[in-house]
Amino acid sequence: MSGQGLTGLSPWSRRLVAVGVLAWCLITVFPLYWVVVTAFKTPPGVVGGPTYLPFIDFTPTLQPFIDLYQGIRGEFFRTFLNSTIVGLSAAAIATAIGAMAAYALVRFEFKVRFGAGLVFFLLALGFYLLFNATFGLTRPQALLLAFPIALIAAVVANRLPLPGPILGNEDILFWFVSQRMFPPIVTAFALYLLYSEIGRLGFQLIDSYVGLTLCYVAFSLPIVVWLMRDFFEAIPIEVEEAAMVDNVPSWRIFIGIVVPMSMNGLLATFMITLAFVWNEFLFALFLTNSRWQTLPILVAGQNSQRGDEWWAISAAALVAIVPMMIMAGLLSRMMQSGLLLGAIK
Amino acid sequence: MMRNDPIKHVFIWPAVLVVLAISIFPLIYSLTTSFLSYRLIPPIPPRVVWLGNYATLLQEPRFWSALFTTTLIAFIAVALQYAIGFGVALALNARVPGERLFRVALLLPMLLAPVAVALVARMMFNPTMGPLNQFLSKFGLVNLPFLTNGHWALACIIAVEVWQWTPFVILMMLAGLQTLPEDVYEAAELENASAWQQFWGITFPMMLPISAAVVFIRLIESYKIMDTVFVMTGGGPGVDTETLTLFAYQEGFKKFNLGYTSALSFLFLIAITIIGVTYLALLRPHLEKRR
Repeated sequence: MSGQGLTGLSPWSRRLVAVGVLAWCLITVFPLYWVVVTAFKTPPGVVGGPTYLPFIDFTPTLQPFIDLYQGIRGEFFRTFLNSTIVGLSAAAIATAIGAMAAYALVRFEFKVRFGAGLVFFLLALGFYLLFNATFGLTRPQALLLAFPIALIAAVVANRLPLPGPILGNEDILFWFVSQRMFPPIVTAFALYLLYSEIGRLGFQLIDSYVGLTLCYVAFSLPIVVWLMRDFFEAIPIEVEEAAMVDNVPSWRIFIGIVVPMSMNGLLATFMITLAFVWNEFLFALFLTNSRWQTLPILVAGQNSQRGDEWWAISAAALVAIVPMMIMAGLLSRMMQSGLLLGAIK
Repeated sequence: MMRNDPIKHVFIWPAVLVVLAISIFPLIYSLTTSFLSYRLIPPIPPRVVWLGNYATLLQEPRFWSALFTTTLIAFIAVALQYAIGFGVALALNARVPGERLFRVALLLPMLLAPVAVALVARMMFNPTMGPLNQFLSKFGLVNLPFLTNGHWALACIIAVEVWQWTPFVILMMLAGLQTLPEDVYEAAELENASAWQQFWGITFPMMLPISAAVVFIRLIESYKIMDTVFVMTGGGPGVDTETLTLFAYQEGFKKFNLGYTSALSFLFLIAITIIGVTYLALLRPHLEKRR
């Protein structure tokens, strides 16, 4: 580690820098302290103007939390459960699938013709319009039919000597990561329409566990693939080569050697994905309405539902925040062991 | 070394399929919808208007104001995040006393739900019960109309963005700083270069690639801003703080104007692509020169 940077500074400037960092730290911590304190206040204790110290300024109470648990301010308990279930399963599935793809991109060679990608897009669009306009199929039916046709055609086209550039692993990785660049509103809105039309065919996807989890898996994959690729690249290949000499099949190398060796990386990726899903707002807003509502939606609604009841709003915000605070502690411990630092290059 | 084994398809296809199905497909769907005049309420059968929706949007002042607001928030917030984040990262890297304690605290905000953070911000900025205005009164200053005045509301949103996402910049820059070679600094010490000179001559140029990446990620993410604004001001007062995503949400989910909203989200996509490509094109010469 290079602890240089500031060595040329006089002791006075060093002190000045320390004060600056301390100031930023206070700015970071004060709002958090404020929620925690407010969540334990009684209604008159909030309305009477700002107070700061428990037991000195005001008498703390657990009433806001009891209200939350009893469901006076919305189904908090079930929503918390929803968030946990969807978050854990989406993060687990995304980490598993994403890690597999990342491993494939690190260790195997892929060649995709640009022409094949073009064929996929054009055929999907063309067949969708054809089925929808000419054969009178509904929009989701047309989409579901066009998708496999275009996919098979693209796989076949990839074998043909089409003109145009050939894309390698780096390009595939870029394609994955670039999904993250998309403004989510583009997809959220289209997905809402698509889900509701599929719902009319009989599969309920809006406000369902499957629909929400599927969408979160897809949107976590880019970041999982990106992070996991760096972790896998850091693994020395010699171990795998030794296993290959013994004719161990690739999937056993992956599960038996690579996964245990990158356990920390997988865990960190899982936690980052979980945080992302836990905090996500836009997709949940579009894709849920009652049964599978997640915490951010309920928390956001607190404000408009009953006005400025800050003690209760603080307690609600705290319920959404505390699990992530615990995770921040865990992650920073992993960071100190230099784990994540190696991953973010 | 790259292997070639048919099993590679088993590894990669699940991820490709999920991403294709969930993110590429709605794209085709909304691209085709954006050429239609299509409303759910009142239900009118879809009618092909080609570029009609786009033309209407480009003449709509509310679209331009949302684009301007989003750009303003993104650029100012990211500039502040970068400046503060780089500074704090430098200080942490130089082993400021108490550095370990800072790390946990500094990591926190980026892991918290933006919705909850925005609620907390509403409390902080509350004109009568919030601590900020009380603080101002104590020093005999005027109380500020934090969320009820357009300009102040915008400033508050930017402040919350900076509060929440500076930790990300700190994290990335710290990781970058720790990879810098030490011998360059030792050589600079021998030459009696001041700390200021060392920063501009060594640290900053060597950190340019990672800086470019961090700013790029933050810029793109900031353009998507929605939850913070949704909770803090709801786009108000009036439409003074309405961002692109919020505008699209209002049109699509409140008015169910499907064709129009699809066109809007595509214009958004085009705008973000233009910004991304311009950014990369502007930076490329600098990045390659350093190599």
